[in-house]
Amino acid sequence: MNPEVHIPGWEWYYVAMYFFIGGVSAGAYFIGTLAELFGGERHREISSTGFYIAFPLILLTPPLLIADLGRPGRFWYLFFRAKGGFPFLNFQSPLSVGSWALLLFGAMAFLSFLDNLVSEKKLQFAPFAKAYSRIPRKWYAVVGSTAGFFVAGYTGVLLNVTARPIWAATDPLVGALFIASGASTGAAAIYLAMSWRKKLAYPGLSGFELFESLSKIIELILAVGVVVLAGRYAAPLMRGTIAVMFWGGTVLLGILIPLAAGWYIPRAAGRRTSLANLATVMAILVLLGGALLRISLLQAGQVQ
Amino acid sequence: MPKGMFVDTSICTGCKACQVACKEWNALPHEPGHFRYDLVEKRPIAVNFTGDSYDNTGAMSATDWRHVRFIEQFSEDRSRARWLFSSDSCKHCNDAGCLNACPTGAIVRTDLGNVFIRQEVCIGCKYCIPSCPFGVISLSEATGTVHKCTLCNDRIHNGLGTACAKACPTGSISFGEVAELRKGADKRLAQLKGLGYGEANIYGYKEAGGLNVFYLFLDRPQVYGQPETVMVPQQRLPVSSAVTIAGALALGGAALVSFRERGSREKDEEVKK
Repeated sequence: MNPEVHIPGWEWYYVAMYFFIGGVSAGAYFIGTLAELFGGERHREISSTGFYIAFPLILLTPPLLIADLGRPGRFWYLFFRAKGGFPFLNFQSPLSVGSWALLLFGAMAFLSFLDNLVSEKKLQFAPFAKAYSRIPRKWYAVVGSTAGFFVAGYTGVLLNVTARPIWAATDPLVGALFIASGASTGAAAIYLAMSWRKKLAYPGLSGFELFESLSKIIELILAVGVVVLAGRYAAPLMRGTIAVMFWGGTVLLGILIPLAAGWYIPRAAGRRTSLANLATVMAILVLLGGALLRISLLQAGQVQ
Repeated sequence: MPKGMFVDTSICTGCKACQVACKEWNALPHEPGHFRYDLVEKRPIAVNFTGDSYDNTGAMSATDWRHVRFIEQFSEDRSRARWLFSSDSCKHCNDAGCLNACPTGAIVRTDLGNVFIRQEVCIGCKYCIPSCPFGVISLSEATGTVHKCTLCNDRIHNGLGTACAKACPTGSISFGEVAELRKGADKRLAQLKGLGYGEANIYGYKEAGGLNVFYLFLDRPQVYGQPETVMVPQQRLPVSSAVTIAGALALGGAALVSFRERGSREKDEEVKK
């Protein structure tokens, strides 16, 4: 591995934040879809909350990505050739395929968002609602969550498929790690939104808590796997601010403590009154850990 | 027929005429990272030079498309010494990581085999920068696009050789058809081996699908700052994608286990009834 490979100079507040927000949005969307497909009516609240937050979040991301470009005004060349206007797609480039997946995911997230508004009678425009109900919602939710898995995961593949030592050495696990983090942060975002909408008391919550724990366990295994795989190239993750962000922020605050709380809260239910507050704090920690995961892995590849 | 360059480092004298010729022909400005505008003296002041070597650029950049390395080697007791030089640039790989990574088709290969960045199409996404296994491409803050050696695209499409090869006073850099250059390189390698340079080797026959700009080194490639084994990043894409899909399936499985409690389906149906 060649240490002289150049650093791209991606700004963490644009690119890592996109990785994070895109992951939360996609995670919330595919949790929403899977809850709808497998859970039926019992998990209707989870799926509707997932669809409500996925679209506004994904709307935040294109400005971040465009702002990081050297020539922001040319961003549309990602989709259409500069000359001739023919659609352009490079299957060898995760960045190219990912741009299209983001577009597709955004469209599906928009459809599901509208669908929720119509079905919950928050948007009343009769001709539209009539035409709308003809499209089977499960069909585009499946397309959307496939694109969502892609949006959550391709950012990791994008880092792995470079020649920067730590990104190349952690191949092929970062994509899966980012999907797991998308799931755990997406679940945390759904939890926060549901507690804000005061929709927490419903019969399916125990299944949701199980999924939260499983996604964190998968994330933990993959995070440790990434460090083991990196071997001696893991040095940037072991020192300074990046080590604090990765080990303290992501692993301890974002995974281990919420996992422990997830084990404790159901057992203490009924005995304490402040458990809802504790669960809210845990959800915020999971989101913080997810953001720090993206920042630390992006920056670990951008130090000399 | 692909054109390229053969860099015989054994006869390089480190004069940097190639660096100067490259700057002049391509009208490249000074490296912004090496100068700071002094407000008191009202002129640019040189900063960030290496200071410990005749190497004056340290690396390739958006404005330094050529980089002459100076490598000092001493024996343990410092009784014997050797000074190695190598003039480095874009290698115009046949399997080019930068070209594979480009999401807009800004990076293209011309009919002469050189890898060329179309400045009017580049959006400055910077993905090609870490995708080059050799550390060649850089972003220019001035243009917002990436730059690297073009193999003097304008010159070679008008019957001329590259500016650096033209300027080289010792013939260390030669320009021509890759197949022809390889013949000469093999001959020179055999000659050096005969003279006792056992470590001498040609770098660039197999690496990255074959390099159109290749080198004769007197020591291991690593000594010259080149990777010993070149992995074009996109070769990892199939496995990386497959593992990521497996991760997605694992989470789908976790959701199935979590949301589909035993008997819940029947209960749902009862509720509907």
